[in-house]
Amino acid sequence: MKLGVLFSGGKDSYLAMHLASEEHVISCLLTIDSSNQDSWMFHTPAIKLTKLQSKSLGIPQIIQDTEGIQDEELDDLFKLVKNAKDKYSIEGIITGALASTYQSTRIQKICNKLGLWCFNPLWQLSQEKLLDKLQTYKITSIVTGVAAEPFDESWLGKELDPTVINELLSLSKKYRINPAGEGGEFESLVINAPMFAKRLEIISSEIHYSNFAGRLHIKEAKLI
Amino acid sequence: MNILLISTCKEKLSESEFVTPIVEIIKSFEYDQVNYKNLETINFRIYDKLIICGTSLQDNDYLNYLDDFKKLKNHGIDILGICSGFQIVCNMFGEEIIAQQEIGMVSVEIQAQNPLVSGDFQAYNMHNFSVDKVTSFDVLAKSEKTIQMIRHKTMNIFGVSFHPEVRNEQIITNFLSI
Repeated sequence: MKLGVLFSGGKDSYLAMHLASEEHVISCLLTIDSSNQDSWMFHTPAIKLTKLQSKSLGIPQIIQDTEGIQDEELDDLFKLVKNAKDKYSIEGIITGALASTYQSTRIQKICNKLGLWCFNPLWQLSQEKLLDKLQTYKITSIVTGVAAEPFDESWLGKELDPTVINELLSLSKKYRINPAGEGGEFESLVINAPMFAKRLEIISSEIHYSNFAGRLHIKEAKLI
Repeated sequence: MNILLISTCKEKLSESEFVTPIVEIIKSFEYDQVNYKNLETINFRIYDKLIICGTSLQDNDYLNYLDDFKKLKNHGIDILGICSGFQIVCNMFGEEIIAQQEIGMVSVEIQAQNPLVSGDFQAYNMHNFSVDKVTSFDVLAKSEKTIQMIRHKTMNIFGVSFHPEVRNEQIITNFLSI
């Protein structure tokens, strides 16, 4: 089956795509670029970097801008999925949805309306197993946004390596956080993975942080 | 207790979404997993409970295997049909399946006391088909639009049109305790 992946550039959408690629053809990346940082549906600080990821993956990308207003962003998502169906003749969509019925319901409705299959290979996966799979599949990602205690600014740009993953697991026991960030505690960006031809290197970046909320503003990056 | 999970997924990739979450709930018991296309290879006598799992909204291939499913009722095993499994259980007894769409969380009201759940609850639905009346079953719960839970009048055969593995895991563990 030819599939498109709803791609934010983070660890969940990459892992979902990777798992799907074992059985299906990934024809295109579908990215929503939301100007609303508080969007419930699409929220990732380093969305512009997906262009470089697309290049490294060798998979074409369609980007749809949205202002991120609650209902209008769904119209924009519909436009994006329909555009991908028309342009790349995809038969289905892959998402990295894990537990949010809010997100999955809306994507399922759009796919159903367009007669597309909807695959959510991470659905109901525990946070611990997700972190485990990132290591199994050799997915390297960095933290690009934080929004919960105890994440201070030292977490921005941090690589989710085995030591950091263990730290997340122990912090989740102490604080009421999801160790893989399902509740929006942190956002990630994949910088290297088996499907990448080249690694993404951050050349320069800036930290914006106050009171357990912040983001890594990546000013320049390249593939090496 | 020995459980058989029946996948109704045509695509293997869908199983991570519709079968694996149920495995996570029942994995402390002995269980086997079989795809609907291979039902004739199964010795049903060794199982105490059958769970027929759901599948993707676009996936209707299991409808080509309804005759194989019909034989399941002859083994006297307790059955829980989920979503597509709900429709399969209804079909086993000749109930009429109709087009009826629900996608997302819906409010479910209990209609009859039952061993699976007590009290009204929210359920994750994802189906394009359902039933609006049943003759061989008692209706245990309903949403505003459609029948949500049924139990056969004389056998421990249940159907739920929603996905209990999402937010209502105890329905599955309660089924195993019957």
